[in-house]
Formats: sequence, structure tokens, C-alpha cells
Amino acid sequence: MKSKKKIKTFDLVNYIVFVIIGLIVLVPIWKVLVDSLNAVGVYQFRLWPNRFTLDGYKTIIETKLLYKPFLNSVITTLFGTFLGLMLSTLAGYVLAQEELPGRNILAYMLLFTMIFSGGMIPEYLVMKKLGLVNSMWLLVVKHGVNVYNFVLMKNFFEGIPGSLYEAARIDGCTPMGIFFKIVLPLSKAALASVGLMFAVTVWNDYSTVKIYITDPNQVNFQYKLRNMIMDGDTPTTAYNVSQTTLFNAGIIAAILPFMVLYPFLQKYFVKGVNIGAVKE
Amino acid sequence: MSKKKQVVTSTGVVVKPKPLGTRIWNNRGYYVMFIPVLITVLIMNYWPMLGVRYAFYDYKPVGQPTWAGIKHFSNMFSTSAFWTAFVNTLQLSIMKLVLDTSAAVIVSVFLNEMGNLLAKKTLQTVIYLPHFMSWAVVASIFSLLLSPSSTGMVNGWLKDLGIIAAEGSGIYFLADSRWWRPIFYVINIWKETGWGTIIFLATLSGINPELYEAADIDGATRMQKIRYVTMPALSNTIVTVLVLNLAKVMNIFESVFVLYNNAVYDVSDVISTYIYRQTFAIALPNYGYSTAVGLFKSLVGGALVIICNQISKKTRGRGII
Repeated sequence: MKSKKKIKTFDLVNYIVFVIIGLIVLVPIWKVLVDSLNAVGVYQFRLWPNRFTLDGYKTIIETKLLYKPFLNSVITTLFGTFLGLMLSTLAGYVLAQEELPGRNILAYMLLFTMIFSGGMIPEYLVMKKLGLVNSMWLLVVKHGVNVYNFVLMKNFFEGIPGSLYEAARIDGCTPMGIFFKIVLPLSKAALASVGLMFAVTVWNDYSTVKIYITDPNQVNFQYKLRNMIMDGDTPTTAYNVSQTTLFNAGIIAAILPFMVLYPFLQKYFVKGVNIGAVKE
Repeated sequence: MSKKKQVVTSTGVVVKPKPLGTRIWNNRGYYVMFIPVLITVLIMNYWPMLGVRYAFYDYKPVGQPTWAGIKHFSNMFSTSAFWTAFVNTLQLSIMKLVLDTSAAVIVSVFLNEMGNLLAKKTLQTVIYLPHFMSWAVVASIFSLLLSPSSTGMVNGWLKDLGIIAAEGSGIYFLADSRWWRPIFYVINIWKETGWGTIIFLATLSGINPELYEAADIDGATRMQKIRYVTMPALSNTIVTVLVLNLAKVMNIFESVFVLYNNAVYDVSDVISTYIYRQTFAIALPNYGYSTAVGLFKSLVGGALVIICNQISKKTRGRGII
């Protein structure tokens, strides 16, 4: 009897801890959401806006200095993810060929970049020579070439049984044919996981934009948002809406795409972590 | 006889391997497919490596760079702002690593003990969320929450509770050297704890249930089971996580970059932000000097990766790269 009561106490404590942890995470996010829909800024935490307005979101849609960065974010994320997936599947597929002469040389060439890098200034000078400084396409190239994700894709591909390759080769399939007809169709989960990683990285980038891009038509939304809120760089056309409303609406806009997709894609996100870290 | 000399097929027949040239020709399709990867990696990763030579030159926007020897390095080692940044890099990274990992372990144990699967799944979904927010967004959220203005929630609450004077200006959490670091750690824990639990939960789901059953038969309490079954099972994973992240301590950048400001450089400036300011935020950037600092960072970072790789190979039989 005594031990049963103890178990119940433990469960009760656990539920309380669960609620507290959940609140710690959710209260800041909920406060931002409510404030983005509230016409006046207040410090109090409210469950619901008391003076409902959509002006914050309207301002973002109508102000070029705000919607242009958002569109730039969408474009760079789409292209960056595509380039990243293309390069990582090619790299992963070739490196997963155990019999390939010179495979180790190619693998070491990639691994070395994980140990040593040129650093911020030499990278800047190369980008300058490529004419990518002050262009949003820099984000696509910079994040599309991500050696860590190449290796991740290789780990996924090594899970495909070698006998499948062998059978296809005997049937006269070329490496390219095997890639498109066998490997890619079998790797939808891997493509989703690694693709999401590329997408999140490009969408969320702030520091690359801060370092390389000053043209207001080329910056992305994360950069514009942080500049507006923390450096006081609000577009003058946005002054007919409460500053707090606009700031909070901006934050919601910046997280919206992934928050909407997240419940459906959670398992792919998690899969990426586990294959990367606890591959055994 | 070297074992490379013969190949045994799946049917057990020993065959002589074809000459290297033939094998390369037969695999030409793969090499062609690798060309785009090779070109992009050479341009994006290897070309910048050639640029580290500027660390030994005086770089000028116009005209040829002139040889400077190790001048920039001796300058660097005698500049106190560099040492501040170096010590801050280690301190912020390591403290963050220890706090994030501890928080993740504690939350994982609670999650593991939860019998109600719906509650467990719901909390997991909630606590993974902040990981997908950018540092720019997280910094924006917390700068609004912690703002000393009339709309800052934390200062408002502190005034309501009478902890700080209602008439005063409130606490400048992000612009006060005493507050910046604790706030930085709290924000890091808020953002990354949930995501950090994934790897520990994967380990916990692999614990043989018989161990818990045996503990039950021996009359172990819930706390004893956590102490003697759960925690020992986690210890290997904790070491793995620490080693993996120790390799990255020099890389700390974006989290500091979005949260620091000139009022708190002494407690917040790290190597990468120092390089950034020396190059892009001063009137006459000295590319040679900032390249030298960057090279120092790359070398220390590379050494850490190699050391952690060796530790990882010894402790769990698998490298980290």
C-alpha cells in the first residue's frame, strides 16, 4: 500500500514538472502571438488579444522593405534546399560505393574541410571575387555546399543493401540509372530529413546576411526582423501601426512556415539527428 | 602477401582484380557524378584556405600585399581585447554545453518516467519547437520580453511583485554586464534543451526492460531505478554529447552575435564576433590582422576536432568525423 502511494506521488510530481516545462517554452511564444494581434502594447501576459487587429500583418504585406526580404527568404530557401539536396545525394551516392577506386581520397577531401577552414576574411574575399557580395544568391551557394549534410546522406545511403546495386548493374543499369531508378525512390525519408536541414539553415540565417549584404533589396527576413527590433531600423511607412504589434507580427511571420509544417514533419527532423549522432 | 592482391566474390571464388586503370574506367559514371560536388567544394571550401596567407601580409584594397611576417600574430597576442574574446569563447561555450546537457538529461529522465504516452508525445512536440527558430527570432523574442520599456513582460512582473522600484527604469538585462551572461545561458537552455533530449531518449528507449523488472523484484523504488538503471545507461551518451560539442567550442558565433551589444563586449565578445568587428565594423579594416585571428581560431578549432575524434575513437570505437 505504501509503495503504491509513493508511485502516485511521483506521477503527480512528474505531471507538474511537465506542465511547468511546457509553460516555460510556450509562454514566450504565446505572448508574441497575442501581442501580434493586439493593437496596443502591454507588458501583461494575456491569453487573448483585448483589442484585436491584423494591422501588424497587413503592414508587413504592404511595406516593400518588409515583404521583399520575406520573398527573398522564400526564394533562397527553395533554391538552397534544391542545390543542397542535389549535391548531397550525388556526394552521398558516390561515397557509398565501397569498391570505387579513390573513394577514400574523395572522402578525406570532404572530411578535411570539417577540420580546417579558411575563416571569415578569406571566405569574404572569395565571395567578392565571385561577385556574390551583396547578392542573396550567396545564401544559396554558401548553405548548399554543406559537407556535414553530404556525410549524413552517405550514412543514409549506406543503409541500402549492396545486393540491390549489384542486381541493377548486372541488368545493365548505369550508375546514373541506379541513382534515379533505385537509390532516390528508396530514400524519400532521407531526402525529407536532409532537405529540411538545408531549408531550416537557409531560412534561419542571419549572420551571413549581416556580413555580406547591405542592399535592402537583397537581405532576408531574419536580418530585417532583428534589425528592426534590436537596432531600431523600422521602415518609415510602417509608423501607422503600434511598434509592438508590428514587431511581434514580424516574429510570427519569421517562424510561420516551419511552425505550420512542423507537426507533419517532426519525425523527419528527429530522424536526421539520430542518424547523425547515434549511428551504430 | 597483402590482402589487396585477391578478391573473393560472394560465391567464394577467388579472382584476380582487374588493373586499376580498367576499374577506374568501369566506374567512370560515378566520377562524372562527383564532378559538381568536387567543383563546389573546391571553390567554397578550398579556395578560401589559400587566403590564409594574408595573415602574413599587409593587405591593401589597391596594389600588391606586402610581406609582414608574424607581425599580426605578435600584435594579436599582445592585444587585451583578443584575450578577452578568447577567454569568453571558452567560458561561454563550455558553460553553455554543461548547462544545456544537464538540462537535457534531466528533462529526458522525466520524459522517460512518464507513463502517459500522449502527455509524453505532446511535451516532446512542444519542447522541440524553439530549436527551429532562428537565433535572430529568439533574440528578438527575448529582447521584447526583457525590454526595460513599458511593454517588457519580465520587468513589468518584477515591478508588480515589488522586486524592483515601480517608478524606476527597469533592468537592462541585455545591456548590463552583470546580467548578460546568465540571460545568455537561460536563452540557450530555452532554445536547445528540448532538441538535446532526442539523443538521450534514443538511448533510454534502448534499455532492456528486464533491467527494470529485475530492479522491481529486488524492491527498488522509482528513484533507485533512476539512480541505478537509467543514469548508468545514459553515461556513455553524455560523454558522446560532451565530446561532440567540445570539438565545436571555437565555433560559437551566431548566438552571441544576435544578443550582444557594445555595452557588454567585456563579458560577451567571442573570437568570431571580434573578427567580425575588426573587419566590418571599423573605419580602416586590417584584413591581415583579422585573417591572422581567423587562422588562430581555425587551428585551435581543428586541433580540438582531432583531439575529440581520438577521444571518441577510444571511448566508443567510432570517430566523430
